[in-house]
Amino acid sequence: MLADPLLYARAVHFAATMLVAGVVLFVVFVAEPAWRGSGDGAVAGNVRRRLAVIAWIGFALALISGAAWLVLTAAAMGDQPAAQIFGDGVLWTVLSQTTFGRAWLVRLVLACALAATLPTLLSSRDHKSPWLEIIVALLAAAFAGALAWSGHAAGGLGDEAFIHPAADVLHLIAAAAWVGALLPLTVLFAAAGADDASLAMARTATTRFSILGIVSVGTLLVTGIVNTFYLVGSAPALLHTDYGRLLLIKIALFLLMVAIAAVNRFRLTAQLLQQGSIIASRDALRQLRRNAAIEALAGAIVIAIVAALGTMPPAIHAAHQHPTYGPVPADAAFVHIHLVEGMADVTIRPGRTGRARATIRLWNEDFEALNARQLSLTLTAPAAAVGNAYPAREGRDGAWQVDGIELSEPGNWTVTVEVVLDQTKRLTLTAPIVIEPAQ
Amino acid sequence: MQKILLFISLLLMPLAPIAAQAHAFLDHASPLVGSTVSAAPHEVVLTFTQNLEAAFSTAQVTDASGARVDGGKAQVSGNTMTVALKSIGPGSYKVHWHALSVDTHSTEGTFTFHVGGH
Repeated sequence: MLADPLLYARAVHFAATMLVAGVVLFVVFVAEPAWRGSGDGAVAGNVRRRLAVIAWIGFALALISGAAWLVLTAAAMGDQPAAQIFGDGVLWTVLSQTTFGRAWLVRLVLACALAATLPTLLSSRDHKSPWLEIIVALLAAAFAGALAWSGHAAGGLGDEAFIHPAADVLHLIAAAAWVGALLPLTVLFAAAGADDASLAMARTATTRFSILGIVSVGTLLVTGIVNTFYLVGSAPALLHTDYGRLLLIKIALFLLMVAIAAVNRFRLTAQLLQQGSIIASRDALRQLRRNAAIEALAGAIVIAIVAALGTMPPAIHAAHQHPTYGPVPADAAFVHIHLVEGMADVTIRPGRTGRARATIRLWNEDFEALNARQLSLTLTAPAAAVGNAYPAREGRDGAWQVDGIELSEPGNWTVTVEVVLDQTKRLTLTAPIVIEPAQ
Repeated sequence: MQKILLFISLLLMPLAPIAAQAHAFLDHASPLVGSTVSAAPHEVVLTFTQNLEAAFSTAQVTDASGARVDGGKAQVSGNTMTVALKSIGPGSYKVHWHALSVDTHSTEGTFTFHVGGH
Protein backbone atom coordinates (compact mmCIF):
# COMPACT_ATOMS: atom_id res chain seq x y z
CA MET A 1 0.00 0.00 0.00
CA LEU A 2 2.88 2.37 0.82
CA ALA A 3 4.10 2.04 -2.78
CA ASP A 4 0.81 3.46 -4.09
CA PRO A 5 1.50 6.99 -5.43
CA LEU A 6 -2.20 7.84 -4.90
CA LEU A 7 -1.59 7.65 -1.16
CA TYR A 8 0.99 10.45 -1.35
CA ALA A 9 -1.06 12.60 -3.73
CA ARG A 10 -4.01 12.29 -1.34
CA ALA A 11 -1.89 13.06 1.75
CA VAL A 12 -0.32 16.18 0.21
CA HIS A 13 -3.66 17.32 -1.19
CA PHE A 14 -5.53 16.90 2.10
CA ALA A 15 -2.77 18.71 4.02
CA ALA A 16 -2.50 21.53 1.46
CA THR A 17 -6.28 21.98 1.27
CA MET A 18 -6.59 22.05 5.06
CA LEU A 19 -3.77 24.61 5.20
CA VAL A 20 -5.23 26.96 2.56
CA ALA A 21 -8.74 26.78 4.05
CA GLY A 22 -7.27 26.94 7.57
CA VAL A 23 -5.34 30.17 6.85
CA VAL A 24 -8.47 31.81 5.40
CA LEU A 25 -10.77 30.72 8.25
CA PHE A 26 -8.13 31.71 10.81
CA VAL A 27 -7.66 35.18 9.28
CA VAL A 28 -11.41 35.82 9.01
CA PHE A 29 -12.58 34.43 12.36
CA VAL A 30 -9.52 34.87 14.61
CA ALA A 31 -6.77 37.17 13.39
CA GLU A 32 -8.61 40.09 11.72
CA PRO A 33 -10.99 40.63 14.69
CA ALA A 34 -7.96 40.52 17.03
CA TRP A 35 -6.04 43.01 14.87
CA ARG A 36 -9.02 45.35 14.62
CA GLY A 37 -9.09 45.54 18.42
CA SER A 38 -5.37 46.03 18.99
CA GLY A 39 -4.37 48.81 16.63
CA ASP A 40 -0.87 47.28 16.37
CA GLY A 41 -0.29 47.46 12.63
CA ALA A 42 3.32 46.21 12.69
CA VAL A 43 2.55 42.77 14.16
CA ALA A 44 -0.52 42.39 11.94
CA GLY A 45 1.48 43.24 8.81
CA ASN A 46 4.23 40.82 9.79
CA VAL A 47 1.77 37.97 10.43
CA ARG A 48 -0.22 38.70 7.23
CA ARG A 49 2.95 38.44 5.11
CA ARG A 50 3.87 35.08 6.64
CA LEU A 51 0.33 33.74 6.34
CA ALA A 52 0.29 34.82 2.69
CA VAL A 53 3.47 32.79 2.06
CA ILE A 54 1.95 29.75 3.82
CA ALA A 55 -1.32 30.12 1.90
CA TRP A 56 0.36 30.37 -1.51
CA ILE A 57 2.66 27.40 -0.82
CA GLY A 58 -0.42 25.44 0.26
CA PHE A 59 -2.20 26.58 -2.85
CA ALA A 60 0.59 25.46 -5.20
CA LEU A 61 0.85 22.08 -3.42
CA ALA A 62 -2.95 21.64 -3.58
CA LEU A 63 -2.95 22.27 -7.35
CA ILE A 64 -0.05 19.91 -8.11
CA SER A 65 -1.28 17.11 -5.80
CA GLY A 66 -4.87 17.60 -6.98
CA ALA A 67 -3.76 17.15 -10.59
CA ALA A 68 -1.77 14.03 -9.63
CA TRP A 69 -4.77 12.61 -7.75
CA LEU A 70 -7.01 13.23 -10.76
CA VAL A 71 -4.59 11.58 -13.21
CA LEU A 72 -4.04 8.54 -10.97
CA THR A 73 -7.78 8.11 -10.36
CA ALA A 74 -8.62 8.53 -14.06
CA ALA A 75 -5.96 5.92 -14.92
CA ALA A 76 -7.49 3.50 -12.40
CA MET A 77 -11.04 4.18 -13.62
CA GLY A 78 -10.08 3.72 -17.26
CA ASP A 79 -7.80 0.78 -16.40
CA GLN A 80 -4.99 2.38 -18.42
CA PRO A 81 -1.48 3.65 -17.71
CA ALA A 82 -1.48 7.27 -16.51
CA ALA A 83 0.29 8.43 -19.68
CA GLN A 84 -2.51 7.18 -21.93
CA ILE A 85 -5.51 8.84 -20.33
CA PHE A 86 -4.82 12.17 -22.06
CA GLY A 87 -4.95 10.81 -25.58
CA ASP A 88 -7.86 8.43 -25.19
CA GLY A 89 -10.30 10.97 -23.82
CA VAL A 90 -10.47 9.08 -20.53
CA LEU A 91 -9.51 12.19 -18.57
CA TRP A 92 -12.33 14.21 -20.11
CA THR A 93 -14.82 11.37 -19.55
CA VAL A 94 -13.79 11.29 -15.89
CA LEU A 95 -14.08 15.08 -15.54
CA SER A 96 -17.40 15.40 -17.34
CA GLN A 97 -19.22 12.19 -16.46
CA THR A 98 -18.19 11.04 -12.99
CA THR A 99 -19.03 12.46 -9.57
CA PHE A 100 -15.33 12.56 -8.70
CA GLY A 101 -14.46 14.47 -11.90
CA ARG A 102 -17.27 16.99 -11.47
CA ALA A 103 -16.21 17.57 -7.87
CA TRP A 104 -12.70 18.24 -9.16
CA LEU A 105 -13.97 20.76 -11.74
CA VAL A 106 -16.05 22.55 -9.09
CA ARG A 107 -13.03 22.63 -6.77
CA LEU A 108 -10.86 24.02 -9.56
CA VAL A 109 -13.35 26.89 -10.04
CA LEU A 110 -13.39 27.45 -6.25
CA ALA A 111 -9.57 27.45 -6.24
CA CYS A 112 -9.49 30.10 -8.99
CA ALA A 113 -11.98 32.25 -7.06
CA LEU A 114 -9.88 31.82 -3.91
CA ALA A 115 -6.72 32.79 -5.80
CA ALA A 116 -8.47 35.93 -7.01
CA THR A 117 -9.66 37.01 -3.56
CA LEU A 118 -6.78 35.88 -1.31
CA PRO A 119 -4.48 38.83 -2.12
CA THR A 120 -7.16 41.29 -0.95
CA LEU A 121 -7.87 39.28 2.22
CA LEU A 122 -4.18 39.12 3.12
CA SER A 123 -3.34 42.68 2.01
CA SER A 124 -1.94 45.13 4.55
CA ARG A 125 -5.13 47.24 4.58
CA ASP A 126 -6.56 47.21 8.09
CA HIS A 127 -10.25 47.54 7.39
CA LYS A 128 -11.63 44.98 5.01
CA SER A 129 -15.15 44.64 3.80
CA PRO A 130 -17.04 42.09 5.94
CA TRP A 131 -18.61 40.86 2.68
CA LEU A 132 -15.18 40.06 1.27
CA GLU A 133 -14.32 38.13 4.45
CA ILE A 134 -17.58 36.16 4.34
CA ILE A 135 -17.17 35.33 0.65
CA VAL A 136 -13.55 34.17 0.98
CA ALA A 137 -14.44 32.13 4.09
CA LEU A 138 -17.30 30.44 2.19
CA LEU A 139 -15.03 29.74 -0.79
CA ALA A 140 -12.39 28.21 1.50
CA ALA A 141 -15.00 26.11 3.33
CA ALA A 142 -16.45 24.89 0.02
CA PHE A 143 -12.96 24.12 -1.34
CA ALA A 144 -12.29 21.87 1.67
CA GLY A 145 -15.84 20.49 2.04
CA ALA A 146 -16.18 19.45 -1.62
CA LEU A 147 -13.42 16.89 -1.00
CA ALA A 148 -16.25 14.77 0.43
CA TRP A 149 -17.20 13.74 -3.12
CA SER A 150 -13.74 12.35 -3.82
CA GLY A 151 -14.13 9.20 -1.79
CA HIS A 152 -16.04 6.87 0.43
CA ALA A 153 -18.77 9.34 1.42
CA ALA A 154 -20.11 9.36 -2.14
CA GLY A 155 -22.06 6.49 -3.61
CA GLY A 156 -24.41 5.48 -0.83
CA LEU A 157 -28.06 4.69 -1.33
CA GLY A 158 -31.18 5.86 0.51
CA ASP A 159 -30.61 8.07 3.56
CA GLU A 160 -26.88 7.47 3.33
CA ALA A 161 -26.79 9.29 -0.02
CA PHE A 162 -27.55 12.55 1.84
CA ILE A 163 -26.40 12.03 5.41
CA HIS A 164 -22.94 10.61 4.68
CA PRO A 165 -21.70 13.35 2.29
CA ALA A 166 -23.28 16.06 4.50
CA ALA A 167 -21.44 14.71 7.54
CA ASP A 168 -18.21 14.47 5.57
CA VAL A 169 -18.49 18.05 4.26
CA LEU A 170 -18.89 19.34 7.83
CA HIS A 171 -16.07 17.05 9.00
CA LEU A 172 -13.69 18.47 6.40
CA ILE A 173 -14.62 22.11 7.10
CA ALA A 174 -14.26 21.60 10.86
CA ALA A 175 -10.88 19.90 10.32
CA ALA A 176 -9.72 22.85 8.21
CA ALA A 177 -10.96 25.37 10.80
CA TRP A 178 -9.10 23.62 13.61
CA VAL A 179 -6.17 21.55 12.29
CA GLY A 180 -5.54 23.84 9.30
CA ALA A 181 -5.54 26.89 11.56
CA LEU A 182 -2.94 25.55 14.03
CA LEU A 183 0.06 26.55 11.91
CA PRO A 184 -1.31 30.10 11.36
CA LEU A 185 -1.91 30.24 15.14
CA THR A 186 1.74 29.39 15.91
CA VAL A 187 2.80 32.09 13.43
CA LEU A 188 0.64 34.63 15.25
CA PHE A 189 1.94 33.52 18.66
CA ALA A 190 5.53 33.76 17.40
CA ALA A 191 5.00 37.38 16.33
CA ALA A 192 3.24 38.46 19.54
CA GLY A 193 4.40 39.06 23.09
CA ALA A 194 7.02 41.78 22.59
CA ASP A 195 4.80 44.53 24.05
CA ASP A 196 1.48 45.05 25.82
CA ALA A 197 -0.43 45.79 22.62
CA SER A 198 0.63 42.57 20.91
CA LEU A 199 -0.03 40.60 24.11
CA ALA A 200 -3.57 42.03 24.15
CA MET A 201 -3.93 41.03 20.50
CA ALA A 202 -2.70 37.50 21.33
CA ARG A 203 -5.27 37.32 24.17
CA THR A 204 -8.14 38.21 21.84
CA ALA A 205 -6.87 35.78 19.20
CA THR A 206 -6.53 32.95 21.75
CA THR A 207 -10.04 33.51 23.08
CA ARG A 208 -11.51 33.55 19.59
CA PHE A 209 -9.49 30.51 18.50
CA SER A 210 -10.72 28.55 21.50
CA ILE A 211 -14.34 29.22 20.44
CA LEU A 212 -13.52 28.14 16.86
CA GLY A 213 -11.73 25.08 18.30
CA ILE A 214 -14.62 24.00 20.54
CA VAL A 215 -17.14 24.31 17.69
CA SER A 216 -14.80 22.40 15.37
CA VAL A 217 -14.05 19.60 17.86
CA GLY A 218 -17.76 19.15 18.57
CA THR A 219 -18.49 18.99 14.83
CA LEU A 220 -15.60 16.57 14.21
CA LEU A 221 -16.83 14.28 16.98
CA VAL A 222 -20.44 14.11 15.79
CA THR A 223 -19.65 13.85 12.07
CA GLY A 224 -16.81 11.42 12.79
CA ILE A 225 -19.28 9.09 14.53
CA VAL A 226 -21.64 9.34 11.53
CA ASN A 227 -18.77 8.50 9.12
CA THR A 228 -17.65 5.60 11.31
CA PHE A 229 -21.22 4.31 11.37
CA TYR A 230 -21.28 4.15 7.57
CA LEU A 231 -17.71 2.98 6.92
CA VAL A 232 -17.04 0.63 9.84
CA GLY A 233 -20.46 -0.17 11.22
CA SER A 234 -19.53 -2.50 14.04
CA ALA A 235 -17.12 -2.87 16.93
CA PRO A 236 -15.60 -6.14 15.57
CA ALA A 237 -14.94 -4.44 12.23
CA LEU A 238 -13.24 -1.60 14.10
CA LEU A 239 -11.00 -3.95 16.07
CA HIS A 240 -10.28 -6.69 13.53
CA THR A 241 -9.59 -4.87 10.24
CA ASP A 242 -6.64 -2.78 9.07
CA TYR A 243 -9.08 0.00 8.27
CA GLY A 244 -10.62 -0.14 11.73
CA ARG A 245 -7.26 -0.25 13.52
CA LEU A 246 -5.88 2.66 11.51
CA LEU A 247 -9.07 4.56 12.31
CA LEU A 248 -8.52 3.79 16.01
CA ILE A 249 -5.01 5.32 15.78
CA LYS A 250 -6.59 8.37 14.16
CA ILE A 251 -9.18 8.59 16.95
CA ALA A 252 -6.43 8.22 19.57
CA LEU A 253 -4.46 11.09 17.96
CA PHE A 254 -7.65 13.15 17.82
CA LEU A 255 -8.18 12.54 21.57
CA LEU A 256 -4.54 13.52 22.22
CA MET A 257 -5.09 16.76 20.29
CA VAL A 258 -8.29 17.42 22.24
CA ALA A 259 -6.40 16.78 25.52
CA ILE A 260 -3.71 19.30 24.53
CA ALA A 261 -6.42 21.75 23.44
CA ALA A 262 -8.10 21.31 26.83
CA VAL A 263 -4.83 22.17 28.62
CA ASN A 264 -4.50 25.21 26.35
CA ARG A 265 -8.07 26.26 26.97
CA PHE A 266 -8.40 25.74 30.72
CA ARG A 267 -4.88 26.38 32.03
CA LEU A 268 -2.75 28.35 29.60
CA THR A 269 -5.47 30.63 28.22
CA ALA A 270 -6.51 31.50 31.77
CA GLN A 271 -2.85 32.25 32.57
CA LEU A 272 -2.50 34.37 29.42
CA LEU A 273 -5.64 36.32 30.22
CA GLN A 274 -4.36 37.33 33.68
CA GLN A 275 -3.60 40.96 33.13
CA GLY A 276 -1.37 41.24 36.22
CA SER A 277 1.85 39.57 35.21
CA ILE A 278 3.48 40.12 31.82
CA ILE A 279 6.02 37.40 32.59
CA ALA A 280 3.26 34.86 33.33
CA SER A 281 1.43 35.91 30.15
CA ARG A 282 4.57 35.55 28.01
CA ASP A 283 5.28 32.18 29.56
CA ALA A 284 1.72 31.08 28.77
CA LEU A 285 2.09 32.37 25.21
CA ARG A 286 5.33 30.41 24.74
CA GLN A 287 3.68 27.20 25.99
CA LEU A 288 0.60 27.81 23.86
CA ARG A 289 2.82 28.17 20.82
CA ARG A 290 4.67 24.94 21.60
CA ASN A 291 1.41 23.06 22.22
CA ALA A 292 -0.13 24.38 19.00
CA ALA A 293 2.95 23.12 17.12
CA ILE A 294 2.59 19.67 18.75
CA GLU A 295 -1.11 19.64 17.86
CA ALA A 296 -0.29 20.63 14.28
CA LEU A 297 2.19 17.73 14.08
CA ALA A 298 -0.43 15.28 15.40
CA GLY A 299 -2.86 16.81 12.89
CA ALA A 300 -0.40 16.16 10.06
CA ILE A 301 -0.22 12.48 11.08
CA VAL A 302 -4.04 12.36 11.21
CA ILE A 303 -4.15 13.75 7.65
CA ALA A 304 -1.67 11.10 6.47
CA ILE A 305 -3.90 8.42 8.05
CA VAL A 306 -6.96 9.91 6.33
CA ALA A 307 -5.08 9.74 3.02
CA ALA A 308 -4.36 6.05 3.62
CA LEU A 309 -7.90 5.20 4.80
CA GLY A 310 -9.34 6.52 1.54
CA THR A 311 -7.30 4.04 -0.48
CA MET A 312 -8.30 1.08 1.72
CA PRO A 313 -11.50 -0.91 1.56
CA PRO A 314 -13.69 0.35 4.42
CA ALA A 315 -13.94 -2.00 7.37
CA ILE A 316 -17.63 -2.56 6.77
CA HIS A 317 -16.86 -4.93 3.91
CA ALA A 318 -13.16 -5.59 4.40
CA ALA A 319 -13.89 -7.39 7.61
CA HIS A 320 -14.01 -10.73 5.90
CA GLN A 321 -10.33 -10.51 5.01
CA HIS A 322 -9.61 -11.03 8.69
CA PRO A 323 -11.51 -14.12 9.59
CA THR A 324 -12.73 -14.64 13.11
CA TYR A 325 -12.80 -18.39 12.54
CA GLY A 326 -9.87 -20.76 12.94
CA PRO A 327 -7.12 -21.36 10.39
CA VAL A 328 -7.94 -23.21 7.18
CA PRO A 329 -6.40 -26.73 7.14
CA ALA A 330 -3.51 -27.04 4.67
CA ASP A 331 -5.19 -29.84 2.72
CA ALA A 332 -8.51 -28.02 2.36
CA ALA A 333 -9.98 -25.90 -0.41
CA PHE A 334 -11.53 -22.78 1.05
CA VAL A 335 -13.62 -19.92 -0.27
CA HIS A 336 -15.29 -16.99 1.40
CA ILE A 337 -18.41 -15.72 -0.37
CA HIS A 338 -19.69 -12.30 0.53
CA LEU A 339 -23.02 -10.68 -0.15
CA VAL A 340 -24.77 -7.88 1.67
CA GLU A 341 -27.34 -10.21 3.20
CA GLY A 342 -24.75 -12.63 4.46
CA MET A 343 -21.50 -14.42 3.89
CA ALA A 344 -20.49 -18.05 3.75
CA ASP A 345 -17.17 -19.75 4.42
CA VAL A 346 -16.99 -22.99 2.48
CA THR A 347 -14.26 -25.47 3.38
CA ILE A 348 -13.87 -28.64 1.31
CA ARG A 349 -11.53 -31.21 2.82
CA PRO A 350 -9.51 -32.66 1.30
CA GLY A 351 -9.51 -30.09 -1.47
CA ARG A 352 -8.49 -32.57 -4.17
CA THR A 353 -10.19 -35.04 -6.48
CA GLY A 354 -11.97 -37.93 -4.82
CA ARG A 355 -14.39 -38.04 -1.92
CA ALA A 356 -14.47 -35.07 0.39
CA ARG A 357 -16.45 -33.38 3.10
CA ALA A 358 -17.69 -29.80 3.03
CA THR A 359 -18.25 -27.49 5.98
CA ILE A 360 -20.20 -24.27 5.52
CA ARG A 361 -20.38 -21.49 8.05
CA LEU A 362 -22.76 -18.59 7.64
CA TRP A 363 -22.24 -15.08 8.99
CA ASN A 364 -24.00 -11.78 8.80
CA GLU A 365 -22.20 -8.45 8.30
CA ASP A 366 -21.52 -8.18 12.01
CA PHE A 367 -19.82 -11.57 12.14
CA GLU A 368 -22.67 -13.09 14.06
CA ALA A 369 -23.63 -16.59 13.05
CA LEU A 370 -26.49 -16.49 10.59
CA ASN A 371 -29.33 -18.89 11.40
CA ALA A 372 -30.65 -20.82 8.44
CA ARG A 373 -33.50 -23.29 8.17
CA GLN A 374 -32.11 -25.22 5.26
CA LEU A 375 -28.92 -25.22 3.26
CA SER A 376 -27.85 -26.96 0.11
CA LEU A 377 -24.48 -27.02 -1.61
CA THR A 378 -24.06 -27.34 -5.36
CA LEU A 379 -20.68 -28.17 -6.86
CA THR A 380 -20.19 -27.73 -10.58
CA ALA A 381 -17.18 -29.28 -12.31
CA PRO A 382 -14.97 -27.00 -14.47
CA ALA A 383 -16.61 -27.68 -17.84
CA ALA A 384 -20.00 -28.92 -16.67
CA ALA A 385 -23.19 -26.95 -17.16
CA VAL A 386 -25.06 -28.47 -14.27
CA GLY A 387 -23.64 -29.31 -10.88
CA ASN A 388 -24.39 -31.87 -8.21
CA ALA A 389 -26.56 -30.61 -5.38
CA TYR A 390 -26.09 -31.92 -1.85
CA PRO A 391 -28.36 -31.18 1.10
CA ALA A 392 -26.40 -30.11 4.17
CA ARG A 393 -27.17 -30.92 7.78
CA GLU A 394 -26.60 -28.53 10.63
CA GLY A 395 -24.03 -29.60 13.21
CA ARG A 396 -24.06 -28.77 16.90
CA ASP A 397 -21.54 -25.94 16.51
CA GLY A 398 -23.81 -24.15 14.00
CA ALA A 399 -21.75 -25.19 10.98
CA TRP A 400 -23.42 -27.05 8.12
CA GLN A 401 -21.90 -30.33 6.91
CA VAL A 402 -22.03 -32.32 3.69
CA ASP A 403 -20.37 -35.74 3.60
CA GLY A 404 -19.52 -37.86 0.60
CA ILE A 405 -18.94 -35.18 -2.00
CA GLU A 406 -17.57 -36.58 -5.26
CA LEU A 407 -14.93 -34.41 -6.86
CA SER A 408 -14.43 -35.98 -10.27
CA GLU A 409 -11.64 -33.79 -11.67
CA PRO A 410 -9.19 -31.06 -10.66
CA GLY A 411 -9.60 -27.43 -11.73
CA ASN A 412 -11.82 -24.40 -11.21
CA TRP A 413 -15.07 -25.62 -9.75
CA THR A 414 -18.06 -23.47 -8.96
CA VAL A 415 -19.55 -23.68 -5.52
CA THR A 416 -23.10 -22.46 -4.91
CA VAL A 417 -24.62 -22.25 -1.46
CA GLU A 418 -28.40 -21.93 -1.37
CA VAL A 419 -29.74 -20.88 2.00
CA VAL A 420 -33.32 -20.73 3.22
CA LEU A 421 -33.30 -18.13 6.00
CA ASP A 422 -37.03 -18.01 6.64
CA GLN A 423 -40.26 -18.38 4.73
CA THR A 424 -39.58 -15.40 2.51
CA LYS A 425 -35.82 -14.91 2.58
CA ARG A 426 -33.45 -16.99 0.53
CA LEU A 427 -29.81 -16.41 -0.15
CA THR A 428 -27.70 -17.72 -3.01
CA LEU A 429 -23.93 -17.42 -2.79
CA THR A 430 -21.72 -18.48 -5.68
CA ALA A 431 -17.95 -18.47 -6.09
CA PRO A 432 -15.18 -20.40 -7.83
CA ILE A 433 -13.13 -22.86 -5.79
CA VAL A 434 -9.92 -24.62 -6.86
CA ILE A 435 -9.74 -28.40 -6.54
CA GLU A 436 -6.24 -29.90 -6.71
CA PRO A 437 -5.35 -33.16 -8.49
CA ALA A 438 -5.27 -36.31 -6.33
CA GLN A 439 -1.92 -37.04 -4.69
CA MET B 1 -4.33 1.94 25.67
CA GLN B 2 -6.57 -1.10 26.12
CA LYS B 3 -8.92 0.94 28.28
CA ILE B 4 -9.12 3.59 25.58
CA LEU B 5 -9.87 0.93 22.96
CA LEU B 6 -12.52 -0.55 25.22
CA PHE B 7 -14.01 2.90 25.81
CA ILE B 8 -14.13 3.63 22.08
CA SER B 9 -15.61 0.20 21.37
CA LEU B 10 -18.30 0.76 23.98
CA LEU B 11 -18.95 4.20 22.55
CA LEU B 12 -19.48 2.72 19.11
CA MET B 13 -21.30 -0.42 20.26
CA PRO B 14 -24.82 0.96 19.71
CA LEU B 15 -23.85 1.44 16.08
CA ALA B 16 -23.33 -2.29 15.55
CA PRO B 17 -26.47 -3.40 13.68
CA ILE B 18 -26.21 -1.87 10.24
CA ALA B 19 -26.83 -2.86 6.68
CA ALA B 20 -24.86 -0.15 4.91
CA GLN B 21 -21.97 -1.01 2.67
CA ALA B 22 -19.21 0.97 1.01
CA HIS B 23 -17.99 0.13 -2.50
CA ALA B 24 -20.39 -1.29 -5.04
CA PHE B 25 -21.07 -4.98 -4.53
CA LEU B 26 -23.63 -7.03 -6.36
CA ASP B 27 -26.73 -7.03 -4.19
CA HIS B 28 -28.89 -9.21 -6.39
CA ALA B 29 -29.36 -10.06 -10.04
CA SER B 30 -32.13 -11.08 -12.39
CA PRO B 31 -31.87 -13.95 -13.32
CA LEU B 32 -30.76 -14.81 -9.77
CA VAL B 33 -27.11 -15.70 -9.23
CA GLY B 34 -26.64 -19.41 -9.82
CA SER B 35 -30.30 -19.95 -10.67
CA THR B 36 -31.93 -22.04 -13.36
CA VAL B 37 -34.71 -20.31 -15.27
CA SER B 38 -37.14 -22.08 -17.56
CA ALA B 39 -37.61 -19.29 -20.14
CA ALA B 40 -34.66 -17.47 -21.73
CA PRO B 41 -34.44 -13.92 -20.35
CA HIS B 42 -34.20 -10.88 -22.65
CA GLU B 43 -31.91 -8.99 -20.33
CA VAL B 44 -29.78 -9.33 -17.22
CA VAL B 45 -30.43 -6.78 -14.49
CA LEU B 46 -27.74 -6.30 -11.85
CA THR B 47 -28.52 -4.35 -8.69
CA PHE B 48 -25.59 -3.04 -6.65
CA THR B 49 -25.11 -1.76 -3.12
CA GLN B 50 -24.00 1.69 -4.33
CA ASN B 51 -24.65 4.08 -7.17
CA LEU B 52 -22.48 3.42 -10.22
CA GLU B 53 -20.58 5.56 -12.70
CA ALA B 54 -22.18 4.77 -16.06
CA ALA B 55 -19.06 5.67 -18.05
CA PHE B 56 -16.90 2.99 -16.43
CA SER B 57 -19.32 0.20 -15.46
CA THR B 58 -19.72 -2.77 -17.81
CA ALA B 59 -21.30 -6.20 -17.98
CA GLN B 60 -20.73 -9.01 -20.47
CA VAL B 61 -22.66 -12.23 -20.84
CA THR B 62 -21.09 -15.27 -22.50
CA ASP B 63 -22.38 -18.72 -23.30
CA ALA B 64 -20.66 -22.02 -22.50
CA SER B 65 -18.39 -21.64 -25.54
CA GLY B 66 -17.29 -18.17 -24.45
CA ALA B 67 -19.19 -16.33 -27.20
CA ARG B 68 -20.76 -12.99 -26.27
CA VAL B 69 -24.55 -13.16 -26.09
CA ASP B 70 -25.20 -9.66 -24.73
CA GLY B 71 -26.44 -6.81 -26.88
CA GLY B 72 -23.54 -4.44 -26.21
CA LYS B 73 -23.09 -1.65 -23.72
CA ALA B 74 -24.89 -2.00 -20.41
CA GLN B 75 -27.33 0.72 -19.38
CA VAL B 76 -26.64 2.16 -15.94
CA SER B 77 -29.23 3.95 -13.85
CA GLY B 78 -28.43 4.72 -10.23
CA ASN B 79 -27.40 1.43 -8.67
CA THR B 80 -28.71 -0.87 -11.40
CA MET B 81 -27.02 -2.05 -14.55
CA THR B 82 -29.07 -3.63 -17.35
CA VAL B 83 -27.57 -5.51 -20.25
CA ALA B 84 -29.77 -6.73 -23.12
CA LEU B 85 -29.41 -10.32 -24.35
CA LYS B 86 -29.54 -11.74 -27.84
CA SER B 87 -32.02 -14.55 -28.25
CA ILE B 88 -30.49 -17.44 -26.33
CA GLY B 89 -31.33 -21.09 -25.97
CA PRO B 90 -30.97 -23.59 -23.14
CA GLY B 91 -27.54 -23.70 -21.57
CA SER B 92 -25.22 -22.20 -19.02
CA TYR B 93 -24.36 -18.47 -19.18
CA LYS B 94 -21.70 -16.50 -17.43
CA VAL B 95 -22.15 -12.85 -16.44
CA HIS B 96 -18.97 -10.85 -15.87
CA TRP B 97 -19.56 -7.42 -14.35
CA HIS B 98 -17.23 -4.54 -13.62
CA ALA B 99 -18.68 -1.77 -11.45
CA LEU B 100 -17.15 1.61 -10.71
CA SER B 101 -18.83 3.03 -7.64
CA VAL B 102 -19.45 6.76 -7.36
CA ASP B 103 -16.90 6.59 -4.51
CA THR B 104 -14.19 5.97 -7.23
CA HIS B 105 -13.51 2.34 -6.30
CA SER B 106 -13.94 -0.57 -8.71
CA THR B 107 -15.25 -4.03 -8.00
CA GLU B 108 -15.85 -6.91 -10.35
CA GLY B 109 -17.25 -10.38 -10.29
CA THR B 110 -18.78 -13.22 -12.25
CA PHE B 111 -21.70 -15.53 -11.77
CA THR B 112 -23.56 -18.04 -13.86
CA PHE B 113 -27.19 -18.73 -14.51
CA HIS B 114 -28.75 -21.55 -16.45
CA VAL B 115 -31.57 -21.64 -18.93
CA GLY B 116 -33.35 -24.98 -18.68
CA GLY B 117 -34.48 -26.80 -21.79
CA HIS B 118 -37.69 -28.07 -20.27
